[in-house]
Amino acid sequence: MDLEGLNENAVTAAKRLGADDAVALSAKSTEGMIRFANNSVSVVSKVEEAELTVYIAKDKRRAIASTSNLDTSAVKKFVGDLFASLKGLPKSEYVPLPDRANKFTPSKVSYDKKLEDVDARLPAFAKSTINSAIQAGGKRTAGVISAGKVTVAILTSTGTKGSDSKTAITLNVRSFAEKEASGHGLSCSSSLSHFDPEEAGRRAGENAKKMQNASEPEAGKYQVLLSPTVASNLVETTAAAASAFSVDAGTSYLAEKMGKKVASSSFTLTDHGVTEGGLGGRVFDDEGVKTRSNAIIQSGVLRSYLHNLTTAKKWKTTTTGNAGFVTPHPWNLEVSAGDSSYEEMVKEMKRGIILTSNWYTRFKNYRTGEFSTVPRDGAYLVENGKVVKALKGMRAGDDLQRLFSSVQLLSKHREWIQWWEVDTPTFCPWMLMDGITITRAYE
Amino acid sequence: MGSEKAKDLAEAAVSKALSAGASYAEARVQRTWERQFVLKNGEPQPSFFAEGYGIGIRVISRGALGFAATNDMRRVSVNEIASKAAKLAKASSTVLEKPVLLDNSRPVKRKWSPPETRKVENADASWLRGVLLDIESRISDGKAGVKIPGRLLFLGAELEERYYVNSDGARVEGRLPRIGFFGSLSAIEGGETAQRFIQQGETGGLEVVKRINLVDKIEEEARAMGRVLKTAAKSPTDSVDVVLSPELSGIAAHESVGHPQEADRVLGREGAQAGESYLKANSLGRKIGSTEANVSDDPTLVHSNGFVPVDDEGVEGKKRFLIKDGIINEFLHNRTTAKEFGLLSNGASRSVAFDREPIIRMSNTFVEPGDLSTEELVKEVKHGVFFKTFTEWNIDDKRLNQRYVALEANLIEHGELKGLVKSPVLEITTPKLWGSVKARSKHMEFEAATCGKGDPMQGAPVWTGGPETLLAGIKLGGR
Repeated sequence: MDLEGLNENAVTAAKRLGADDAVALSAKSTEGMIRFANNSVSVVSKVEEAELTVYIAKDKRRAIASTSNLDTSAVKKFVGDLFASLKGLPKSEYVPLPDRANKFTPSKVSYDKKLEDVDARLPAFAKSTINSAIQAGGKRTAGVISAGKVTVAILTSTGTKGSDSKTAITLNVRSFAEKEASGHGLSCSSSLSHFDPEEAGRRAGENAKKMQNASEPEAGKYQVLLSPTVASNLVETTAAAASAFSVDAGTSYLAEKMGKKVASSSFTLTDHGVTEGGLGGRVFDDEGVKTRSNAIIQSGVLRSYLHNLTTAKKWKTTTTGNAGFVTPHPWNLEVSAGDSSYEEMVKEMKRGIILTSNWYTRFKNYRTGEFSTVPRDGAYLVENGKVVKALKGMRAGDDLQRLFSSVQLLSKHREWIQWWEVDTPTFCPWMLMDGITITRAYE
Repeated sequence: MGSEKAKDLAEAAVSKALSAGASYAEARVQRTWERQFVLKNGEPQPSFFAEGYGIGIRVISRGALGFAATNDMRRVSVNEIASKAAKLAKASSTVLEKPVLLDNSRPVKRKWSPPETRKVENADASWLRGVLLDIESRISDGKAGVKIPGRLLFLGAELEERYYVNSDGARVEGRLPRIGFFGSLSAIEGGETAQRFIQQGETGGLEVVKRINLVDKIEEEARAMGRVLKTAAKSPTDSVDVVLSPELSGIAAHESVGHPQEADRVLGREGAQAGESYLKANSLGRKIGSTEANVSDDPTLVHSNGFVPVDDEGVEGKKRFLIKDGIINEFLHNRTTAKEFGLLSNGASRSVAFDREPIIRMSNTFVEPGDLSTEELVKEVKHGVFFKTFTEWNIDDKRLNQRYVALEANLIEHGELKGLVKSPVLEITTPKLWGSVKARSKHMEFEAATCGKGDPMQGAPVWTGGPETLLAGIKLGGR
């Protein structure tokens, strides 16, 4: 399927109908996947898809539509229907597309030809993950490996055009030992050479083994050492709060805090349109604007919201290259590294908890940032710099600003994280923080 | 679905997969149609519509399960992807410990659709916007008694049409229209904020908006936020009785009964993502609650958000009695898990799109009604808290340790509803929750929700619901 031809058909049809602005974004993806559980494959899958999304503006009326029916005649009708739908719409906040036509070429920084088709190798990757987990002490192992390629092409009525492609391979594995003990491992990479299923399996198996005699902690306040996996989950919610759309909609704890201290001085959070090893992003955003790196929080100070053309006009600033036609969003997040090793961070803990994985982060109030999350898999009590026992059956809660303001140490080592609980690829260190509240269920 | 071409493609895909070595094959052609409109603080956002059309093919080859999907609906491409599914499954059998087997469920041949008075396809942007403007006119500018500066209102109309065929003889054609609302309200009063996320929806056409009194409901939600911000006092910390509203009964039923009783979780298949279950394959018959604990899941409820009369394995949907008189009675099954348990599937297999594998899902999960009126049930309480709505909630991945934080909650003293209390927290284990059920009202309500499961993630429309449920002797705030 020719994405450029598809875009050309759509934009030409929109212009003929009289659109003031039109953007065609077409995407083609292929993804292979293997899932396994109880040390056995549960399903393999292959999905090949293409989709066209079109934005049209006419007389300050705006509409967006997407379709997977890509026959030439169907696309023409689709654009016609989209244009016709403008008639019933009110005028809305409208910002014309940039006059200057950009020509984009693929970034190539996160593309590995070897990942274009690794379907045949997925069973072997699964097997080595399982074996590694078993050798490290796990009894039963479940996981999923996904690998594939996505290409996105853009054409706008102002002449901006180009495409970008990405590859990625991700493994999410959990291993289970006796007494429901479990451990978690991830390996996320844009290139095959950095994909390490054995290491992810080993981590999962090792933590499962260590968790076998876990007990519940006392409720109270603790120091907490978050793995890159857990920290990324909370960092992603902060980046979502930095979307100008969230700020406008009343769902951001970062509202009214521009230029103010919202985190510890050691905490810097940057979003990159494209970055070496980044599993997400592209060289252009949905409005044809070149993506870039934006410091959201720099040395603890809120420096930028994420904008598209419309939110930028409202906020009297310029777009940050993070469109979403409606909602600006991050592409690849990076938390700056610290200078501590994992061992040094553990030594700094007087009475704290190490969390290696979590899920089900939910907010009482996005405006205040109050949340709780449920730790799972490896969790350990540390007293006076030493791990003393494994922990289970707890919940951690706080508000995001207080928590990120309590960052004490960050590790030198960082990992790319993307999995079930972290949608935006995040390059993140271990984080030592203070004062998180641990609770247990009434039984 | 009405398209002979689509049916031919599905039939051809099954034939092709079988000829490529599959011992079983199924194909599902699915067409989706969506219209959405959003108002943010009264400002119209660009309208959105989407159309999807594609085919998903699932096979068993050499005992292994394979799935493939494409939206390239040329016959040659569909044939190619069908062969690929069979070949990939066969190749993966090197990591197979136990072959995938299917039960002997009767293959259904049927065409189905829920009642629909005003066809959902009539939902254009003007109509969607009109409904949202009605809501806006009731809650903006302090009209509901409180300032709500953050108002994100979303209304969507969608239609799923599917044609399903399998090599065991099932032929199912379904049409599923649905109207769904989502709202995020952020209210402020005296420097304090309160937030509420509201989801409403049913299957049916444009009549749904009036049937569920959508506009009145959202106005009442807004008014409740004002009452909470202006009057809520400190919540008690001693031992209390707790009354769960239908909304709270429903979320508890969904999270701590429905999910752990999905047989794929029980057997470990979702271990890496949604997790496993505190229940094991031999837990059927285990006492988990009081005799008042009765929870069911029913995909056949007319108008329901989780209406699935025939599932995505071509099996007739039926009511599942998950907990009966406090005893674990039944799990949710597809044809594979049913075979492992020596049973027949109870029709719980669903896929949300052509490119998603069908997996075990809840439909409409609820606490069964009791025989008291709401007033009679409240009269049973000497000292308690009535949880009416909730904000934050979560549960561990074995479904044993859960938390619900109320937004609107009243104190109950000597059988009478008193003033509002602030953010009471019910943090409780599953056996303690269901073991504490003392009584249920006969007043039933359902809420729309989207249930997340699977990898890639599949957000499935469901209902959660029930009556008012009385829990005796609860310590709020966990331990």
